Amino acid sequence: MSTQLFGAGSRMPRIAEAAVERARLTVVPRARRRTPRVPFVALLSLLLVGGVAGLLLLNTTMQQTSFTATSLEARATSLEAQQQGLQMDVDSLRDPQRVALQARRMGMVPETTPAFIRLGDGAVLGKALPATGADAIRLNPLPTVKPKNLRSRTIRVIEKNPDVRGAASPDALTATGTKNSQNR
Amino acid sequence: MSQGSRPRPGTPRPQRRPAQRAGSSRRRVRARRGTSLLRLRVGFVLIAMVVSVFAARLFQLQGIDAQAYVAKARAEGVVTVTLPATRGSITDRNGVALADSVDGLMLVADPTVTAEHASRIATIIARRLHLDYFDLLSRLSKPGTHFQYLARRVPATRARAVVAAIERHGFKGIDTRRDPVRSYPAKDVAANILGFMNAENQAGEGAELMFDRRLAGRDGRATYEVGGGNRIPLGDTSTVQPHSGRNLELTIDRDVQWYTQRVLRQAVQGSRGLSGSAVVMDTHTGELLALADYPTFDANQPALSPKRDLGSRALRDVYEPGSVEKVLTASALIDAGKVTPNTKITVPSELPRGDRVIHDYFVHGKLHLTLTGVIAKSSNIGTVLAASQFSHRRLYDYLRAFGLGRRTGIGVHGETAGVLHDWRDWSQINQDTIAFGQGVAVNAVQMAAAVNAIANGGVYVSPSLVKGRATTSGGEVVGSATSTEHRVVSRRAARLTARMMEAVTNPETGTAGVAGVAGYRVAGKTGTAQRVGSKCHCYNGTFTVSFAGFAPADKPRFLVYVVVQDPKNGGGGGSIGGPAFHKIMSYLLEKYAVPPTGTKAPTPTIEW
Repeated sequence: MSTQLFGAGSRMPRIAEAAVERARLTVVPRARRRTPRVPFVALLSLLLVGGVAGLLLLNTTMQQTSFTATSLEARATSLEAQQQGLQMDVDSLRDPQRVALQARRMGMVPETTPAFIRLGDGAVLGKALPATGADAIRLNPLPTVKPKNLRSRTIRVIEKNPDVRGAASPDALTATGTKNSQNR
Repeated sequence: MSQGSRPRPGTPRPQRRPAQRAGSSRRRVRARRGTSLLRLRVGFVLIAMVVSVFAARLFQLQGIDAQAYVAKARAEGVVTVTLPATRGSITDRNGVALADSVDGLMLVADPTVTAEHASRIATIIARRLHLDYFDLLSRLSKPGTHFQYLARRVPATRARAVVAAIERHGFKGIDTRRDPVRSYPAKDVAANILGFMNAENQAGEGAELMFDRRLAGRDGRATYEVGGGNRIPLGDTSTVQPHSGRNLELTIDRDVQWYTQRVLRQAVQGSRGLSGSAVVMDTHTGELLALADYPTFDANQPALSPKRDLGSRALRDVYEPGSVEKVLTASALIDAGKVTPNTKITVPSELPRGDRVIHDYFVHGKLHLTLTGVIAKSSNIGTVLAASQFSHRRLYDYLRAFGLGRRTGIGVHGETAGVLHDWRDWSQINQDTIAFGQGVAVNAVQMAAAVNAIANGGVYVSPSLVKGRATTSGGEVVGSATSTEHRVVSRRAARLTARMMEAVTNPETGTAGVAGVAGYRVAGKTGTAQRVGSKCHCYNGTFTVSFAGFAPADKPRFLVYVVVQDPKNGGGGGSIGGPAFHKIMSYLLEKYAVPPTGTKAPTPTIEW
């Protein structure tokens, strides 16, 4: 090996020998530094696991949200229905007919001669007359009259001979009794 | 180196070994090459065959009957639901709901499942929904069917509570379905105007029918994929949003309407009348604060009332207005300058006209009445004599201007135009009777609007029932915003007529002293007209009694008109309509805080 090198050196000027000797190039040995595999594999598996887990998580969350949405929607519907139900109750309580019946029960009658007090000077405008029962209006409809064939008929059974009140008469009595109570 | 197979000592082994190995594997490959190629080809063919099977299948699925499979897949997991549009509510002028839509459900049963525990299920339902136990029992145990209605239009909360209770007891076979409830909280109040929704949830009558297109809205639709009852996220979805119906606001005041209906009912029942109507109108705007009819119906249960009671008589029925019409004639005469309230008229006991003889409703000898007296006493003969100064055409034109013989266009289904024959067809007797309100037919709202023109200083305001504006299903735009006005008689003529009408409610001079409200100046006019029977189409001895009036007479705010058909207690417009008018008017004055004007009514001159 060294002979070969000297052979090459012989073609060079002797003066530069030292410099040549100094600048002699050698082949850099191939860097056989092996990149450590572990971090790369770890990164890859981390990415993979992370991705899968993330995807799973996302999916689960979305599914969960969907469950929540469904249940919230159901709740909204039922609350809305409840609100409407309560509104219906309020409306029926505010029904003027109901208010009027309540007022009548408290002994009130509508006023039919309106009069006002002018707050400025306390003057009474109109004729202030007390309301009386004559001013009341009928709040409920008149009871419907039953057709003649449905009206109850009172059947009087006159027992001529009270002595023979035997086995048959209690039946007859209960029969009329029931009829009367039904017809009332 | 002949025995190359034996390693020489001292020679590094690793140098030779690879060569040896390479040499042997090369030999092996060379040995196998033929079979491997074959295997490759066979393998390739196999794979190609499998792939072409896949391809064929793919083509079949995607190319040939793709739609069928799509539909199949849809049916599997895709749900389409109707998003129901909420029907608009109908409110009164203050926003109080008169008709409201509520989420509702119907209860249905599968009797094959429920029959076993029918009595216990029926007990639960009957108690909670106040239904008839025996009826439920027979439905729950009906043989040979899988479907029975138990209850319709139950508010959703109550229906769900019932089903939950039944399930808690461990019974099965009860289910719910959507069944929207249209609720009318005030029941019969304004039912004649509102109409109703029938069992199929279609508009049946009144405003519900007339403004159905506006109220109904448009149903939406949602399509989405479901899995286990939940919507699949990122799945195929498409939603068409529903368009809720628009609300309708009426000019009606619910409380006034209620009171008017009760007073009217009492007036009709008290006089044993056939039917009646009452109209309350805001003088200046023509808005109807109340439009009552009796008999009427409960809008929640229209099926319980006869069909003839389901509409508004005040707009559908025509009748001859009788003496109330005299004020129109009188104001027209004053406007034309033919008479004044003090014009002296000699009223004979009877008046032969052509082949007929005109009488007054009260027997009298020769009377010396002023025009005011004619109105106050409601003399037919006096009115005919005064009106004979008009030509047919003149009177006809005035009455047309008052809105007679023409639909008011108020926006109610089936409104009548009334009857006012063309003046060219009149004979003298026609003009004479029309002058006092016979031989001309009106509906109650028409007549109220006509008298209101006098209250409103001679300006006719077209009546309205809908606040703002709304388009009917027929495409007509109605409402208070479209209300029109036109002058019929001069302000002076209207004022003088109102003053004459005050004499009517004057207990000393008029026919309706009871109609007055203490402390207020009230103008009014009674009417008692012969009524045309439905069978013979002739005057059959029955009457139409009415009362129209407004207050305060010198600064009118409200007009009230009450009509009762065929009373059987012998009463007239004053004794039947008067008290009803008094009650309604005093209620209005109090409710709307209208103080008396403080002026004094001039003493009317009745006679000369």
